[in-house]
Amino acid sequence: MVGVIRRMNHLTELVRIRNGPGAAILPQDVTRIHMDFAHKINGGHMGPRKVWRDSLPRLKYWNPTIPMVVNRSDNQDGPATLSIYFREPGATLASDVPMPSSSAEGFAKAPAPAAGERVLTIDMKERRSEAILKEFMDKSGAVPVKTTPQDEALLREVEDRKATGAIDRERIRQENEAVKREKQMIAQAHSEAAAIKAAL
Amino acid sequence: MASLNRCLASLARLNLTAPARPTTTPSIPKFLLPTTAVPVVRYASGGGGMRKRPPKKKKAYKTFRSYDLSPMEQFSLCDAMRYIRAFEVGRPPAVVKYEVSIKLKTNKSGPVVRNRIRLPFPVKTDTRIGVICPEDSPLMIEAQQLGAVAVGENSLFESIRQGNIPFNKLICHADSQDALKKANLGKILGPKGLMPSQKTKTITTDLKATVQELIGADEYRERSGVVRLAVGQLGFTPKMLFDNVTALMKLLQVDINNVDDSYTKALDEVVLSSTNGPGFSLNGDFLPADETLKPEDLQSAM
Repeated sequence: MVGVIRRMNHLTELVRIRNGPGAAILPQDVTRIHMDFAHKINGGHMGPRKVWRDSLPRLKYWNPTIPMVVNRSDNQDGPATLSIYFREPGATLASDVPMPSSSAEGFAKAPAPAAGERVLTIDMKERRSEAILKEFMDKSGAVPVKTTPQDEALLREVEDRKATGAIDRERIRQENEAVKREKQMIAQAHSEAAAIKAAL
Repeated sequence: MASLNRCLASLARLNLTAPARPTTTPSIPKFLLPTTAVPVVRYASGGGGMRKRPPKKKKAYKTFRSYDLSPMEQFSLCDAMRYIRAFEVGRPPAVVKYEVSIKLKTNKSGPVVRNRIRLPFPVKTDTRIGVICPEDSPLMIEAQQLGAVAVGENSLFESIRQGNIPFNKLICHADSQDALKKANLGKILGPKGLMPSQKTKTITTDLKATVQELIGADEYRERSGVVRLAVGQLGFTPKMLFDNVTALMKLLQVDINNVDDSYTKALDEVVLSSTNGPGFSLNGDFLPADETLKPEDLQSAM
């Protein structure tokens, strides 16, 4: 199994899921979230995909109780929508509102709102992920989570490790290249010597 | 001027009589005499020089490496699930699996832990069984009734040779054991792990019991000192996952206790991971460290 230190370094990256764009606590009246977009980026599906890959995990971490379902389909020309379901003020929802599971084959279409629920839909097509996230935060009323001092220190540690890693990687790349070049030169010299021998 | 000097020097060398050696020994002891620095010349063939040492032998460890876990951050099951559910958000919950890797303190050689477990909540549900039994016998009908996808003896061997393998588990009735040996299918079935053998309890006299054991049962085995097994689907609740992990750990402990006492074998670390997520070392607790979070919060639709 991989050594403890390397695994520990990997786990400090968890700080990135606790902080960053999308780390926000949703208000009590948000009941569920649904995203619908295509597998690939052409046709304006890059922004939605980025939101799902980068921001949705943070949102899910801070709101573990709220179902977040993603429906991906092969239809690149299809719509890209983000639906936020709200509880109507004063209404109580049934405990077992049917909710489809996420699907990679386009089977999890956005369900119609249950009794006492309303839907707010954001069109994500042809938009950048930052713009989508901003609109989502404004319309849902999510409160961003403040970074704790411990997490700030951890973030700095992660950055530092990345910087030193980049330096080391560059050094090793140069060393490897020097070895490669030398080998190439020796091989060339050998082939030239063989050619001269053959000519004599 | 220079040319004259050189000329004189060559003349001096031509002298036939060598100058007499000084006969008087110096009055100072030898060790106090100023030493003239004579460079020591070494030759490659001269025997001296660098002594060649045999290449350093790498220390061969008898056991797999065991790490000090004190710097390792460890998580309760619910905390690990919270992170994993965040990493896997939006993935189909029946496709994404929870996995455990259980590291053992063990020797590199010696017996390995290997067994089959029926988890309280099965992870895989696509077991397709093939049965080798004498053709046109009541056993064949029994196997078909038990839900085998391929039944037979020589006809089945022939279809296996042609690459037609519709099953992912294969069992053999003891009556057909000799026919199986003669069929020489080890080359095809062996690499797929399908070859029936006494060791894996897939050569049997009781088809019904074996088929029932195989359906919904998962095999695990220790490889490089680690037992790895899928223990749940992403859609499982914390309680379901807890039951599966505990069942596995209990059976594994029994397996470890069954190993001969002369071999060291003990549990070292349990790591929970998922298809796309990182690995979380578990501390054995169930409830989350954050008291505002309840296990029921982690069972919403994914």
